[in-house]
Amino acid sequence: MKHFLIYTIKILIVVLLTAIALDGLYTYIFLQSENRGKIETVFNSEQQNYDVIILGSSRANNHFVSQMFEDKGLKTFNYGMSGGHLFEASLMLKLMIERKYTIKNVILEADLNLSNDHESEGISAKFLPYIHNSAVIKNHFETEKNFNELYYIPFYRYVKYDGKIGFRETYKIVTGEKTNALDNLGYYPLIKHKNGNMKNNIHNLNPLKRNKYYEEIKNICKANSINFIAVMTPMCENVVGMNYFDKVKKAYPEIHNYENVVVENKYFSSCGHMTDAGAKMFTTRILKDFFYK
Amino acid sequence: MFFNSIAFAIFLPIVFYLYWFVFNKTKSTQNALLIIASYYFYSCWDWRFLFLLVFSTFLDYYTGIQIEKGKSERDRKFWFWLSILVNLGFLGIFKYYNFFAVSFSELLNSVGLQASPILLNVILPVGISFYTFHGLSYVIDIYYKRIKAEYNFVDYSLFVSYFPLLVAGPIERATHLLPQVKVKREFNFENAKEGIYQIIWGLVKKVVIADTCATYANAIFDHYTSMNSFSLILGAVYFAFQIYGDFSGYSDIALGTSKLFGLDLLKNFNYPYFSRDIAEFWRRWHISLSSWFRDYLYIPLGGSKGGLWMKIRNTFIIFVVSGFWHGANWTYIAWGFINAVYFLPLLLRNSNRNNMDAIELSWNFNSVKTIVSILFTFMITCVAWIFFRAKTITDAVLYVKGIFTNKDFGFQYLDNERYNYELLLLIGLFVLVEWNSRTKIEPLSGKKSMLKLALAIMAIMAFGTFSDYKEFIYFQF
Repeated sequence: MKHFLIYTIKILIVVLLTAIALDGLYTYIFLQSENRGKIETVFNSEQQNYDVIILGSSRANNHFVSQMFEDKGLKTFNYGMSGGHLFEASLMLKLMIERKYTIKNVILEADLNLSNDHESEGISAKFLPYIHNSAVIKNHFETEKNFNELYYIPFYRYVKYDGKIGFRETYKIVTGEKTNALDNLGYYPLIKHKNGNMKNNIHNLNPLKRNKYYEEIKNICKANSINFIAVMTPMCENVVGMNYFDKVKKAYPEIHNYENVVVENKYFSSCGHMTDAGAKMFTTRILKDFFYK
Repeated sequence: MFFNSIAFAIFLPIVFYLYWFVFNKTKSTQNALLIIASYYFYSCWDWRFLFLLVFSTFLDYYTGIQIEKGKSERDRKFWFWLSILVNLGFLGIFKYYNFFAVSFSELLNSVGLQASPILLNVILPVGISFYTFHGLSYVIDIYYKRIKAEYNFVDYSLFVSYFPLLVAGPIERATHLLPQVKVKREFNFENAKEGIYQIIWGLVKKVVIADTCATYANAIFDHYTSMNSFSLILGAVYFAFQIYGDFSGYSDIALGTSKLFGLDLLKNFNYPYFSRDIAEFWRRWHISLSSWFRDYLYIPLGGSKGGLWMKIRNTFIIFVVSGFWHGANWTYIAWGFINAVYFLPLLLRNSNRNNMDAIELSWNFNSVKTIVSILFTFMITCVAWIFFRAKTITDAVLYVKGIFTNKDFGFQYLDNERYNYELLLLIGLFVLVEWNSRTKIEPLSGKKSMLKLALAIMAIMAFGTFSDYKEFIYFQF
């Protein structure tokens, strides 16, 4: 039995050493990543100057045409992330500040995402390779219930989120395979789909009275003298429960309601996402209202 | 509590510690602990079905004694049939009732009689097919006087409910496991070490091979109508490795775990994809089930002693019943039937026991023939797996048809944002490792075992699929 216990301890040591070695290797690889996604690019970047940055979910990513801002002489990047919540938007802004970005305006898409202040695991996982390399990321995750496992158990975060930051992703970083996340200055144009879901029911959705991460973004902007513009972006015609936007307006009067700027279904790829044509109409209106008064 | 869960990683060391350090005084204390642990293990799925397990155990224990004590043949027969009917009755109610009700109603509807089936809203108790078969083999063996009845209820309960084999086998025989349970186990370092190797290799098969293959196989099978010929072929191959990695991985973990407690379980897999014909495949795949059907169905039906037609009839019966054992769906029956059809030429040529020797390759024509035979057997097995995996027989037929009619053999980007060919390298590597260790129980033992173990652990951590968790396929049976 003594031999077996020693043998078991040896195996546990092998497991631990393997985890530490893999953790170090994967983190090193992620620290070299530059062209895979927005999070990696910001983390591994130096100081930047922007006139406008855009934050939010896919409803930011697909709705703000960065090039139209650039055409008006505004250095812009769309950092909206499909599937992301305000948890990730806030962390993204914190990372930029940590990297000494100079930003004049932040446009935040704040509408449906105000209904929760949870992390979106699929997106937040992409910050995790850097949890030991950034105080901002560590502090941001500190309140999450699985923080201790993610932070202290070597390689645990890569195992738990293997689909996002596992072997396939590291392999793609090593081989330099690009994604389209950084194309079009971060804006992702959508086309009209025949079978796009043009119905939506948000009747049961309610904005949180005080969304922790929305407030965080607002306060970061204030502290860094960044002009903060929060907007609600358009939805298609067949939405049940459109009074959600009124509830948002009531709870957050400073958020500008652009929900009905584009309404016709022909400008939508799916109910919550406009096509490129719709996004251009919407961006024109945003530019007119906030940058050419 | 799955073998590849954190809960099991905590459960196993605790039971191991209690077993060897606290309850190791006598075989009775060892068995009592294993029973408690097994019932706890089982109740983690659904504690309500624990009563069914205990009832089934008690039924076979009691009827076994009554059969042995029976003064007349009539008495013995009564207890024997009581046990058989109640066991199969439970299986019938929980597993097959809804299938028969729906099929019967569809049959009536097809001849113009309106009928809507009365369905039972019950979930299938985990492992019912396995522990029912444990009990059946025990009762049948007593009836035919091959073994003596077990009078110690704890020992018998352990034979039926022993946690490593409780939910997905191997299907044990009283002649093999009960004698081990009857004596106090002494710790054996080499045996326990072998157990660790099997557990680790089982995990490699499950989380690296099976679950990764599942991601691709699911993407292809779920959208087979939009897949090209190459994707459809790969889908079948990926599923073949998924089910092999999943089930043989489970069996390896079960056997390895059991070795830690000093109990040897029946070998369930013997590198089946290196079989040279379908008969050899069935001697290497799910061995405990194949041999169960051979001993308790095929031979009682007359086996191969009768004429040709009897042999053919018996062969079709055991394959179809074996398919139906897997689940209440026509696809499983079709899968069993297809395997019987594959088996038929061997039976007619009396060559079903040709490939009994170990596979040896060298630089000669015979080796080429062997390789071609292995590839051919694997190919036809994959075709049968399509029926096993598809939701309906129509889906399976259209899937096979797609392979031949699409004729596009290019790379395809799947819905899960992966290319269809991506796994070929991993599978090739796995096949190579298994081929090189085909004469051993698992590939990790032998020279440089610590290095191989470290590589296996690294493979589990780096290449394993964890976020897209998949249950063991055979748990549903």
